[in-house]
Amino acid sequence: MNFNLTEEQELVRAGVREFCQKYVEPLAEKVDEEAYFPMETVKKLTEQEWTGIPYPAEYGGAGADYLTYIIVVEELSRACATTGFTLECHTSLASYPLYKFGTEEQKQKYLVPLCKGEMLGSFALTEPGAGTDAGAASTTAVLDGDEYVLNGSKMFISNSPVAGVFIIIAMTDKSKGTKGLSAFIVPGGTPGLKVGEHLNKMGIRGSVTAEVVMKDCRIPKENLLGNEGQGFKIAMMTLDGGRIGIAAQALGIAQAALDESIQYSKERVQFGKPISSFQAIQWMIANMATDVQAARFLTYHAAWCYDQGLPYSKEAAMAKLFASETAARQTNRAIQIHGGIGFIKGHKVERLYRDAKITEIYEGTSEVMRMVISGNLLR
Amino acid sequence: MLNIIACFKWVVDEADVKIDAKSRALLMERVGYKISDYDRNAIEEAVRLQEQHGGNVVAATVGPSTAKQCLKDALSRGPERADFINDPSFVDLEPEQTAAILATAIKAKEEYDLIICGEGSSDLYAQQVGPALAERLGIPCATCVNKLTLAESKKEIIAERKLDDGMEVVSMPLPALVTVLPDINTPRIPTLKQVLGAAKKPVDNITLNDLGQTYKPCLQTTGILAATMERRRLKFGADEKNILVIIGALLKEGVIA
Repeated sequence: MNFNLTEEQELVRAGVREFCQKYVEPLAEKVDEEAYFPMETVKKLTEQEWTGIPYPAEYGGAGADYLTYIIVVEELSRACATTGFTLECHTSLASYPLYKFGTEEQKQKYLVPLCKGEMLGSFALTEPGAGTDAGAASTTAVLDGDEYVLNGSKMFISNSPVAGVFIIIAMTDKSKGTKGLSAFIVPGGTPGLKVGEHLNKMGIRGSVTAEVVMKDCRIPKENLLGNEGQGFKIAMMTLDGGRIGIAAQALGIAQAALDESIQYSKERVQFGKPISSFQAIQWMIANMATDVQAARFLTYHAAWCYDQGLPYSKEAAMAKLFASETAARQTNRAIQIHGGIGFIKGHKVERLYRDAKITEIYEGTSEVMRMVISGNLLR
Repeated sequence: MLNIIACFKWVVDEADVKIDAKSRALLMERVGYKISDYDRNAIEEAVRLQEQHGGNVVAATVGPSTAKQCLKDALSRGPERADFINDPSFVDLEPEQTAAILATAIKAKEEYDLIICGEGSSDLYAQQVGPALAERLGIPCATCVNKLTLAESKKEIIAERKLDDGMEVVSMPLPALVTVLPDINTPRIPTLKQVLGAAKKPVDNITLNDLGQTYKPCLQTTGILAATMERRRLKFGADEKNILVIIGALLKEGVIA
């Protein structure tokens, strides 16, 4: 067993930390306060070649392993969860299905510019009436000559207002339930595709999330991703990998909560001594650090399974479940350690607390994670 | 075309050093290492000049054999190859020893037009290695450089030196050595492909045996303790009379004379 990261992974981590100090941390408050999408940071992520980390160089990626990508998401999220998630959504949700199921032509046309950071990607599965119950999707795709015609609406679609390409899941045969779902590549700006207003969220406020409406949206037949009826499988496999990314995001948030708590407890003086000298605080810090470390091991292990070509669905679900609940619990704890000041807008722990919540919901709720885990165990 | 050697030191990351409150001892069990801060500027400047004028950049370091991790870090920042001058005994070297080791290795195997060092290291900040190396190589040296330009003739380097009492611009015939300040540039963060490509770049492993001589220290470190800041907790009023009291206290503490 080897717990050491490679020299390259360590160097990437050091590089991302420096990057965050220079470009991400200084913007994080504005991103949250003004729900500001940090496009300038996205451009810089591209310059660092972090927009296609786990995909091969022939498709414009860096050809690194998944764990390296996970470390980048973790460190970005530690500084700004919006930035970490924007990269996660782009890499795991939009690029992965193209990489795994795309034809060579589709990869050259869409995956290459995504990996090179020439455009951002978005993934549209959720609908107003179909969240966890993906089979209830009402968006339809009907073949009409050489084109598919898409109609319906998708909800809470991350990156959608800035996306150059969408992976959209739509029903091609309602009678087959989830087996009637198919995946489509829809370029941004396709006539009939409309992206709504940026939704006003509780956390990750800079991440642009909107409704995507398709009204007689026509795309060429060759934009079907995989085969008809494969949409549910494509979506579930995409979310499996994405969950490791969300675990990394949650891990970054939880680590930041711990960092802030350690620093503050050593500085804050009450009854003539730093509050870190009180056992109540010491125990909170000990519990936080232990949870964060456990979340890190689960997350890195899931990424390692992915890299080794081992099954990782259960491991990804465990990592996401534990890391997201750790983030929610420990950001709460961090505010407790900070007391009143932690409750004030503009303080980092207050932002972390709000940013943590979504990690328990998107890309599969905690309840779905428990279903996935138990489903794997009780087969 | 310029052949440039950028020298760097692999140092303890000072952010990781903890202090034992009672004994003031430095606790180093969990420290990480990094390229000394100003040496990153040295490497960046070498790569910048090479991009502008063509040529080669070699990153050179002296350290214990265990410092191998520094090589990928340095090479990911742009140099084509590295000289890793190492021996298990090369720990806590004095600046004079480091300069002598570098000089022997450089004389034996490198052709160069310019050597760039950081002004001082993040750990000792003795500011000695650069000038001592230049002296041993018999080449001109400019310290405290915050701007570097290659003259049109390509035979001289023009260095702007930031001194306490003003700026000085000097021109030196090549080959020459400069030590640089952090203002000279902003080191790039290596891209992912640069990090992944570093392992493929050649490293010349130069051992004490290859150098053919020994390097004795002149100093003996008898102990290292963390600095402390003691507060006197004196309180003064803000009126005229109290100014004299303040001055008296400052005189007594030796802050003013």
